[in-house]
Amino acid sequence: MLVVMHKDATEDQIRLVCRAIRQMGLKPHSIKGAQRVAIGITGNKEMVDEKALENLAGVLNIIHVTQPYKLTGREMKPEDTKIEIENILIGGSKAVVIAGPCAVESEKQTIETATKVKSAGADMLRGGAFKPRTSPYSFQGLGEAGLKILTKARKETGLPVVSEAVDTEVFSIVEEYVDVIQIGARNMQNYSLLKKAGKSKKPVLLKRGMASTIQEFLLAAEYIMSEGNYNVILCERGIRTFSDFTRFTLDISSIPELKRISHLPVIVDPSHASGKRDMILPLSRAAVAAGADGIMVEVHNNPDKALSDGPQSLTIGGFEKLIKELKIIGKAVGRTI
Amino acid sequence: MIITMSAGVANDDIERVRKRVEELGYGTKIFLGEKKTVIHIIGVTHREKLIKAVESLPGVENLIPILSPFKLASREFHPENTLVSINGKVIGDKNIAVIAGPCAVESEAMMIDLACALKEAGAQFLRGGAYKPRSSPYSFQGLGEKGLEILARARDKTGLSIVTEVLSEIDVPLVYKYADVLQIGARNMQNFPLLKTVGRFNKPVLLKRGMSATIEEWLMSAEYIVSEGNQNVILCERGIRTFETYTRNTLDISAVPVVKRFSHLPIIVDPSHASGDWRYVKALAMAGIAAGADGIIVEVHPDPANALSDGKQSLKLEVFGELMQGIKRIAEATGRIL
Repeated sequence: MLVVMHKDATEDQIRLVCRAIRQMGLKPHSIKGAQRVAIGITGNKEMVDEKALENLAGVLNIIHVTQPYKLTGREMKPEDTKIEIENILIGGSKAVVIAGPCAVESEKQTIETATKVKSAGADMLRGGAFKPRTSPYSFQGLGEAGLKILTKARKETGLPVVSEAVDTEVFSIVEEYVDVIQIGARNMQNYSLLKKAGKSKKPVLLKRGMASTIQEFLLAAEYIMSEGNYNVILCERGIRTFSDFTRFTLDISSIPELKRISHLPVIVDPSHASGKRDMILPLSRAAVAAGADGIMVEVHNNPDKALSDGPQSLTIGGFEKLIKELKIIGKAVGRTI
Repeated sequence: MIITMSAGVANDDIERVRKRVEELGYGTKIFLGEKKTVIHIIGVTHREKLIKAVESLPGVENLIPILSPFKLASREFHPENTLVSINGKVIGDKNIAVIAGPCAVESEAMMIDLACALKEAGAQFLRGGAYKPRSSPYSFQGLGEKGLEILARARDKTGLSIVTEVLSEIDVPLVYKYADVLQIGARNMQNFPLLKTVGRFNKPVLLKRGMSATIEEWLMSAEYIVSEGNQNVILCERGIRTFETYTRNTLDISAVPVVKRFSHLPIIVDPSHASGDWRYVKALAMAGIAAGADGIIVEVHPDPANALSDGKQSLKLEVFGELMQGIKRIAEATGRIL
């Protein structure tokens, strides 16, 4: 259920409505829109008694949310959510580019890649310090040492950093160092991790599980938001299908669908979706054309020697070309890159 | 293995090569092209021996080993893009082809009015089913030949070329009489007798991807048509079946660059069937062009709410106009023309 406040409702009136909701044993989520504040209610098992709320001062009306996801839906917040990270805005008119290696391998590799992607036009730096690898024998990442390298790269380039928290144990360490916490595809339904991310003050980049429906994806975002963290960025990274030419199948339709149903920003990861370097450019173009708020790509200063995901990593030259092409597509759809 | 013969080669030279290859126990298929004659050798087991036997025969220009299972449809065989010409319009060059129209031909008045409006909005081809492959045998099955006659009248009136589906090999001669492009639907992608039949006719074929076909299976189906002598095949990605049910199918956008890399045939995208929901058609059409597709095929209906089929995924005319604006901008941004 959703309590929509008058556009001139005072802070006090909002506080009183939230208190009334808490007194009913439920949880209020006050979310500021462009025009007015809406207060989402979660925690109810049955219909909420709206009589107790509709007569409170400042309440405009009460809406029953029919979808299973409440806070992520556009019913809750009709306008797009924009997430500010340092001086970057995700979900605004600029489509953001997050670039960097799959994994942080060394200081030299990370700083060199970061400097080069920055001068090519990247907005943020990605890089895994903790890696969820399919095989337990593959390189698992540098851990905290990797996070320290990322911090150095941020200092050197000014690029905000995105890095994955693979479990609840390392969550706090990752949170301490990064600007955006990534929840990987394999953890999309790791509910204790989602709840933990929901209590964080830092934005969360939530990747779609490889066999998750749109509804399951949005419900995972709902887990984070229901704990009070409303800064969630959705990331489509390809789903598992029978078509095995590419590593996964980029579900391009999910972009207009998610944008219609939810107010959260949506970005696309063409690197994991295809698993192939030469497909990054056409898929990134398609993503921006379909309305994505940005892309996240793997770039390595020497892909042939990469410790992970080499075949899908762009070279620096390839990344420069990608940015050039995306600027043109961006212009065609009224966005800057 | 493919042997290309030099331009203006004598029949005797072709015969000599054919005989020599068959002596080695391999099958042959000869394509007498306007510019070049090509001999496709089937079942090669000893490549070195074959090369030695034919490379110095008169008229032999080149021997091309082709590793992919599809031969004539592969880029190894034909490095340049194939351009399919239809009444002076070309699919596969810089131009973006727009095929639009209702799912099914419902009546003459509707079809002619709609065709005029689509032409005005910039479409170059008219789609419309006269024979409909419906999931349920109780659903509207199409008007049959009467539908084809209506399509022909819409063409006379507007100049739009006609794309329509042929459901079985028995119907091919009849549909051939009326249509400019023969469509093979997704459900028939591996109907091999039908593929062979359209391969023997000299009209372009629009081959839709089966809903659970891999890219290789799809290109093998194109090979069926091309190997019968009809090289004018247009591929159409229309969404594959996945676990995701919010959309009717899942548009496999990656298929566009993959097909472009492995085949010389043009590829277009069908955002209507891929999504099953008119609200997503424009975004998917734009994504298709951005990924490098040569065109789109979309369902448009003057009154989607009352359409006899596919109403949910059909665009109203005004939305089609917006879609045209959108793909025009993307076309310009990617160096294409619309």
